[in-house]
Amino acid sequence: MEARLTGIPREETLRYLGYAGSEIPPELEADLTRCEAEVLGTVRPRVTWRLFDLLPDGTFSGTGFRPEGRDLAELLKDCRKALLMAATLGMECETLLRHRQQRNMSDAVILDAAASAAIENVCDNLCRDLAERFRPLYLTDRFSPGYGDLPLSCQRELCGILDVTRQIGLSLTESGLMLPQKSVTAVLGLSERPQPHRSRNCEDCGISGTCSFRKEGKHCGQT
Amino acid sequence: MGKHEFILLDGGMGTQLQAAGLPMGAMPELWNLTEAEKVTAVHRRYVEAGSRVLYTNTFGVNRLKAARCGRTVRELVEGGVRCARAAAQGEAVRVALDIGPLGQMLEPLGTLKFEEAYDLFREIVIAGRDAGADLIVIETMADLYEMKAAVLAAKENSTLPVWATMTFEAGGRSYVGTTVPAMGLTLTGLGVDALGFNCSLGPKELLPLIRELRRWTDRPLILKPNAGLPDPATGAYGIGPEEFAASILPALREGVSIIGGCCGTTPDFIRALRAALEAEAGDPVQTEPAAVSGHPKPSGVCSPSRVADFGPVRVIGERINPTGKKRFQQALRDGDIDYIVERGLEQQDAGADILDVNVGLPGIDEPRMMERVVRALQAVVDLPLQIDSSNPAAIEAGLRAVNGKAIVNSVNGRPEVLEAILPICKKYGAAVVGLCLDEKGIPQTARERIAIAERILDAALKTGIPREDVLIDCLTLTVSAQQEQAAETLKAVAHVRKTLGLHTVLGVSNISFGLPARENITVSFLTQALHAGLDLPIINPNQGAVMDAVASFRVISGEDRDSEAYIRRFAGGETGSGGPSASPAAGVPGQKPAGEMSLAEAILKGLKAETAARTRQALEGREELEVVNELLIPALDQVGDLYEKQIIFLPQLIKAANAASAGFEVIRARLAKAGGQSASKGKIILATVFGDIHDIGKNIVKVVLENYGYTVIDLGRDVPAEDVVEAVVRENARLVGLSALMTTTVGSMADTIAAIRRSGHDCKIMVGGAVLTPEYAQSIGADYYAKDAKQSADIARAVLG
Repeated sequence: MEARLTGIPREETLRYLGYAGSEIPPELEADLTRCEAEVLGTVRPRVTWRLFDLLPDGTFSGTGFRPEGRDLAELLKDCRKALLMAATLGMECETLLRHRQQRNMSDAVILDAAASAAIENVCDNLCRDLAERFRPLYLTDRFSPGYGDLPLSCQRELCGILDVTRQIGLSLTESGLMLPQKSVTAVLGLSERPQPHRSRNCEDCGISGTCSFRKEGKHCGQT
Repeated sequence: MGKHEFILLDGGMGTQLQAAGLPMGAMPELWNLTEAEKVTAVHRRYVEAGSRVLYTNTFGVNRLKAARCGRTVRELVEGGVRCARAAAQGEAVRVALDIGPLGQMLEPLGTLKFEEAYDLFREIVIAGRDAGADLIVIETMADLYEMKAAVLAAKENSTLPVWATMTFEAGGRSYVGTTVPAMGLTLTGLGVDALGFNCSLGPKELLPLIRELRRWTDRPLILKPNAGLPDPATGAYGIGPEEFAASILPALREGVSIIGGCCGTTPDFIRALRAALEAEAGDPVQTEPAAVSGHPKPSGVCSPSRVADFGPVRVIGERINPTGKKRFQQALRDGDIDYIVERGLEQQDAGADILDVNVGLPGIDEPRMMERVVRALQAVVDLPLQIDSSNPAAIEAGLRAVNGKAIVNSVNGRPEVLEAILPICKKYGAAVVGLCLDEKGIPQTARERIAIAERILDAALKTGIPREDVLIDCLTLTVSAQQEQAAETLKAVAHVRKTLGLHTVLGVSNISFGLPARENITVSFLTQALHAGLDLPIINPNQGAVMDAVASFRVISGEDRDSEAYIRRFAGGETGSGGPSASPAAGVPGQKPAGEMSLAEAILKGLKAETAARTRQALEGREELEVVNELLIPALDQVGDLYEKQIIFLPQLIKAANAASAGFEVIRARLAKAGGQSASKGKIILATVFGDIHDIGKNIVKVVLENYGYTVIDLGRDVPAEDVVEAVVRENARLVGLSALMTTTVGSMADTIAAIRRSGHDCKIMVGGAVLTPEYAQSIGADYYAKDAKQSADIARAVLG
């Protein structure tokens, strides 16, 4: 299954930029268009995923992976199979962002926002493709380490199982952060029943006290 | 190893162990100690299938990973060698210590330092050497820099043969952007005994990459591909043993002599390979090793992503050099690395192919500065480098830090210089510039200069440096002082290029020193020298006329096919000389300064050139600091107001700040000229805390603070608390800014603040980052919470004035 980056929604770029609804002057509009095009032309999205049976105790078959927390268990409660996925925009993206920070910070800020929107697009496309492939089963939402009460610390195990370094060139720093930064890992359930789209509920979220979206009265599930 | 022989390696280990019950995601190397007989059994099946080299089950062993499972590197490596040795017993089978990637990205993209990586590899090499491995295999590397650290560790801590294979994508690059030619040039230069590809893809997909690699190295080639491509749903690989063996055969005809399998391959694959090899070896035409010796070897230098091959005209940019440049000298003394990196970017944009790097200045620790500048340049510029120094320690520091293959500038005919510097060039695989002078000075005739060139070539060859890596500088003398010498130089260039067959370097601009309208003379001499055979001119690429001459020469010589590059350069009716256009992203489209614009307007609109011009104007009749305080700062304040009122937002704020920096740069240049007085309004230390790599916010703050006239000492990201404390005390800074983006790293921010407080230094601390709140900032003992870059400037003003 190929990684597909099909577009960068402008409103998503603006959301990541912390756009507050003021008027966008034509020069900035031009910068946005140019930077989005540059992200589209530079990054090389890659994805990898694996299918697992879910054992009754919640372990992913063939692995020792049994993620903690109520939130993921709730998401997977209808599921006997699950997927692990990882997606990245590649070091091409990392390099673009770092180089531009040295040369032109205002561009770099826009590129960073556009890249965040782009990786979401890649993940959305992958989920659409997976949903297609596994029909008649239904996909749950994707759930990433750090969401709700799923600890960020399970990132290393998840990445080990997917062999992400060899498969898509993704690695973790000693403190467990992903490189390239514009990368996503997630768990998805496969169920025989249609799955609700759960808007990410802030009350259950691990960062609800400090979330920058919430500071501005929004939430990350908002589209 | 005989030239007609193939060496059969083994196949996949991880997948075999998983088949024997190892859970996915578990550390396979633990089994060297807990399930040794199962590991040995896999090895033995490979020996039975025909493998003549066994890779130890130590791919993932290093101190970082070993610590996570409570074992030492030595235990795991000894266990691994023991398992392989047990299977090799009584057979003509060699045991290769297998070294894989560390699992962490090196700087600049990651946080692991080169010397830390070296140290991790060194530990593995020593353990493997002591355990009795027969050779060292470094495999599955995606990062050329990490590979270099591993190769140096292997060669400096053992005498074992070193094989090196990397993993690439079908597009011909590794995940980190390394290209095949860069891999070939760099690893051949570092002196590996064999090189090639493993993992990555199936044999079919790797064939074009092998063809490319063959062009860039004369070493034996290794191919150890996967069993095709995996099906993600099941993890099963695409092709079986027979198809695998059949599709690897064409690679043998491309010169591959060492083969095996990687992920998804089994003893059956090796057996099939062996059968195919036996059939193949019966055919003398197809095993002809012509590929190893018969090719004309391309030479050149490279960064991981860019090769400057020797032959065509390659412009070496000369601007990273303090000689005669007050502002550059000031930057070196202040440790203002950003200024130096800017000079590199500028030259890259102007069309340089290689950057000369000279940081020699009395009072500067040259080796240390060379290393710093090389690393900083590599983080943003992708051109190959030329290490310019006469200090062997600085040359070695530079070459060690270089990612890729570099040139050393320079040696000369003096025996003690050749003895001191050539072995360093050989060790790091660098090309070297030889100046045609010796203890008696610069000879006055071409013949004598050629004699010195021959002596240098001879010494280089004796040291083991290949002929194509010896570059000769026949020396440019000033034509206004020694007029007859210009012709001698041209004569010497022609002879060295055509008769000795060596590539030539020449610092061109010296020719016109002391004459009016220097450019005319420089350009004329450059053109004649290029015609005589100069292919590596050292020039200032920012001079449009000089680069125009290069562009024109490339058309006449036929190097610029169909005049494509020339037409591109002069498209739109430009007459050239304006020099290169700014980087495509830097310009503000459609904005030309319209008539009279105030300095404040120029800043608000983010116009750099206009801001610089207006600043220069304002300086007529005003003191520098007056301009700063009465014009630049109030203009920035106005921009800040608009930002706070959300009339403009972040990209515009930064653009304005950047424009203001053009104004500050005019002021700094003036002050440096006047004699080193600083225009700084005070020092601020910035760091993204330990464990965090998300530093864009910190970098935005840095740009804004610098553009307000503060000196920012940027410690980077993932900065340990003790480094922050050390910098605060050393610089006696009165303000420190810390950033953390992740919930998991704000704890590290609290630790850093506690460490600063413990040191007793009374600096103020401001903190920022997406997950912070004013309350949290207060609770961890910060003095200020900065919600954005604008506020950090307000805080700086409150603390520093």
